Amino acid sequence: MLSITARVLIPGRASGSALVLDDSLSFWGGFDPALGEIIDVHHPQFGQRVGGSILFIPESRGSAGTPGGIAETLRNGSGPRAFALGERDVNIGVGTLVANRLYALEIPVLAITLAEMAQIRIDDRIEIDRQGLISVSRQA
Amino acid sequence: MNLNQLDQDRLAGKLGKAMQFAMETIVTAAHIDQVDCLIDISFAHIDACFYNGRAHLDFVNYMLEHGATLAVPSWTNNGLVALNDLTVRDPLASREMDEARQLMQAYVKLGCNPVWTCAPYQLPDRPQLGAHIVGSESNAVSFYNSVIGARTNMYGDYLDVCAAIVGRVPCSKLHRDEARAAELVFDVTKLPQEILENDLFYHLLGHVIGRRSGHRVPAITGLAPACCEDDLKAISAAASSSGRVPLFHAVGITPEAESLDIASQGARVAQIIELKVVDLQQARSELGVNTGQPLAGIALGTPHFSVSEFERLVALLAGRELHPGLACYLTTSRHVYQQAQQRGWIEPLSLAGFRIITDTCTYFSPAINGLKGKIMTNSAKWAYYAPGMLPVEAVIGSLAECVESAVGGEVMLDRWGEL
Repeated sequence: MLSITARVLIPGRASGSALVLDDSLSFWGGFDPALGEIIDVHHPQFGQRVGGSILFIPESRGSAGTPGGIAETLRNGSGPRAFALGERDVNIGVGTLVANRLYALEIPVLAITLAEMAQIRIDDRIEIDRQGLISVSRQA
Repeated sequence: MNLNQLDQDRLAGKLGKAMQFAMETIVTAAHIDQVDCLIDISFAHIDACFYNGRAHLDFVNYMLEHGATLAVPSWTNNGLVALNDLTVRDPLASREMDEARQLMQAYVKLGCNPVWTCAPYQLPDRPQLGAHIVGSESNAVSFYNSVIGARTNMYGDYLDVCAAIVGRVPCSKLHRDEARAAELVFDVTKLPQEILENDLFYHLLGHVIGRRSGHRVPAITGLAPACCEDDLKAISAAASSSGRVPLFHAVGITPEAESLDIASQGARVAQIIELKVVDLQQARSELGVNTGQPLAGIALGTPHFSVSEFERLVALLAGRELHPGLACYLTTSRHVYQQAQQRGWIEPLSLAGFRIITDTCTYFSPAINGLKGKIMTNSAKWAYYAPGMLPVEAVIGSLAECVESAVGGEVMLDRWGEL
């Protein structure tokens, strides 16, 4: 079992399956917050839904609308259970903070290095605690 | 985190729950950005009034219900609908459009100045050189930083409102001198003069700069001193669409770039890209190819049309009418609309066939009425975004080419248009 100590941007506990994005994504214009679906036709994971995952995002791409896309997908339950970012991203952090506050959620946002993120595989089982410890287990 | 007594009181909830929430958001943003101090701002341009789901409405309603007030003058960006013309996007047709209208009204209630424009810098009393402000819409962030020399990061929804409530932001990135130095150069000196004098050039230049700058601050050398704010607006909007360019310097033109040495803060710039005509040709083709499909309309005013652009349009149209059956849209702010009206331009343009819209824009979904098929635009931003969000294909041209095409009923490119 692999474990990573992340920098905590927004604290919280979460568990779920890893979804690692292969490219940056704008959560306004490139993402449908009603369905939690990637709708950017240029994105390698076009059509993928992020609901229920622990979402690993190596690189961020922000429009001013990103926090709204994040808050809306978390509000309606189509969003991920946690975010792990390869770059510090104020937009994703603020969108999550607002959703946590308005809807009494506990969605964590963590920052890790790209080298750490490279160790994560899609469908790895992830556990996150409030101190930012990420425990990763993988079926053989 | 270095918080003064008032900040600590805000965070502890002594100034109410709305202020506490706003302050908590500002402090979280500072924590994420890894800065330990805040700085006062004097102005905010609010993007959170642009509808993006129910959460937007819940957020502003929370703030209103808990007694939020604004600490600085706060002007609104475009909304999703036009508040003064409910037929533009038929706001009663769906719950979303109705909530979009409610959202805009909520920001008026919060105390925003309802200018509803993505080009707030075209209005009087704009921020001045060196002012710390909050910008949100990407073209306005770029224009404020670059052309005016005010200082703002690219603030997203909610953080813009929280900053306006608190009157402070984390002192990070473009608020600091060291983040504003030019790091690469686009040199346009060798391009033919007739290209530099064409308004389309600035859109294509911005597109190239956005594509190639990455996270670096670009400087442009060789622009004609006669280049005007409309041209600099075009660079701001185009570069912030194809890339992420919250600040650029135009040497000899913009306020922090009297010389390249000043723009780079004395450092040697590592990369100089000499632009050639072929770079502009490539930008033009990336922004849309003129297929055999018939012309369905034109879209002008992304970002919102200025008074000087109205003046040029009226002169180029020279009293002619637009080809019947085309959907010809022009978007602007209420303020500029009024200016154009006082100059007697609105009526003849409307009679000629233009539908002039305020408060919103035409490049995003849901489509405003009748906008589909092959649309010609003078805006790189429109051409970049609209085909992804609407059932349209875009052709970009200069303002003169757009006018000739709209009059003739088919895409007409002038000699320079062969680019």
